[in-house]
Amino acid sequence: MSEKKTFRITRFDPDRDEAPRTETYEIPVDPDWKVLDALNFIKDEIDGSLSHRWSCRMAVCGSCGMMVDGKPTLTCKKALSEYGSEISVEPLANFPVVRDLVVELDGFMEKFESVKPWIIRAKERAVEEGTHRQSQAELEEFKQFSMCINCMLCYSACPVVANEPEFIGPAAIALGHRYNLDSRDEGAHERNEIFRGEGSVFSCSYANECSEVCPKSVDPAAAVNQAKINAVIDWATGFVVTRGKE
Amino acid sequence: MKHLLLRLEPVIWLLFGGGIMVGTMLMTAWIAVVGLGAPMGLVPADALAFERAHALGSSLIGRIVLAALIALPLWKGAHHTRHVFIDMGGADRDALVAPVLYLLAIAGTVLAIAAVVRL
Repeated sequence: MSEKKTFRITRFDPDRDEAPRTETYEIPVDPDWKVLDALNFIKDEIDGSLSHRWSCRMAVCGSCGMMVDGKPTLTCKKALSEYGSEISVEPLANFPVVRDLVVELDGFMEKFESVKPWIIRAKERAVEEGTHRQSQAELEEFKQFSMCINCMLCYSACPVVANEPEFIGPAAIALGHRYNLDSRDEGAHERNEIFRGEGSVFSCSYANECSEVCPKSVDPAAAVNQAKINAVIDWATGFVVTRGKE
Repeated sequence: MKHLLLRLEPVIWLLFGGGIMVGTMLMTAWIAVVGLGAPMGLVPADALAFERAHALGSSLIGRIVLAALIALPLWKGAHHTRHVFIDMGGADRDALVAPVLYLLAIAGTVLAIAAVVRL
């Protein structure tokens, strides 16, 4: 570990600090390290008070999203070698900060829940009727949008989330859209009404930043814009089709 | 006003989407043929003769295409301008700005329809 890199890390202790401050650490780094490895080194060897979220270290849990050199990044996936000798690490933008690099998730989780991310059936199927069968082609319809790991990078990158905090946002819309595309689901109208309501899908100005930063190639911008079309079709068919108790 | 804008959003977005399609596809071809092709002599001179163009424009399909070519990009412009305004920090005044922009688009649409009807 002959090479050294300097990390400028945003620190914030709500009990002590009035505003976030920056602390600098110069550490020896291994050529194979990811950004997260460096943060763990700092916490383990230099400053145990540094707070950051992480868990799986394999781009699955979605916990370790942070702004690295100003860009929303999954720190366990991004190699340190891709950066220069000085690297800035900040908490994800567009989220309230709890402490250091840890952000508040409540608003994000509420948005997730708001799109009813579960299979809705008009009438539950009796057990003796067997399972819901789904073909490979039907699975492919939504599979891409189900690969989201809830890392929130897309919310951090989205210029609409920054300006309109009520916007449902890329990941939640992609998740709702994923269920709307699921052949087993019958709740598309309910979700389309949510998509047209407060924080509507139409707030998206298709900057595509969400898809640019997505570490799992979910392409939430595509989901949002497909959801717009479906929300319009659902709205227009409401004039000619009588719907039940929905 | 915010609630009304939200209710109208599907139809506004449809007009905006139509404006993007017309603006990027038809308008580009239009400008290429009329604005560049004709002056550069790439299009036969009599292809755009008044009688010929008038006959095309005053047919039913011609009138619909002309009205769409004029009106839909106005909705695209209004909606884009609204969102640029929001992105520049004007979200608080959206309820004031958006109606003005959409009223301009409505006025342009009415004028466009009136013009093609009178062709």
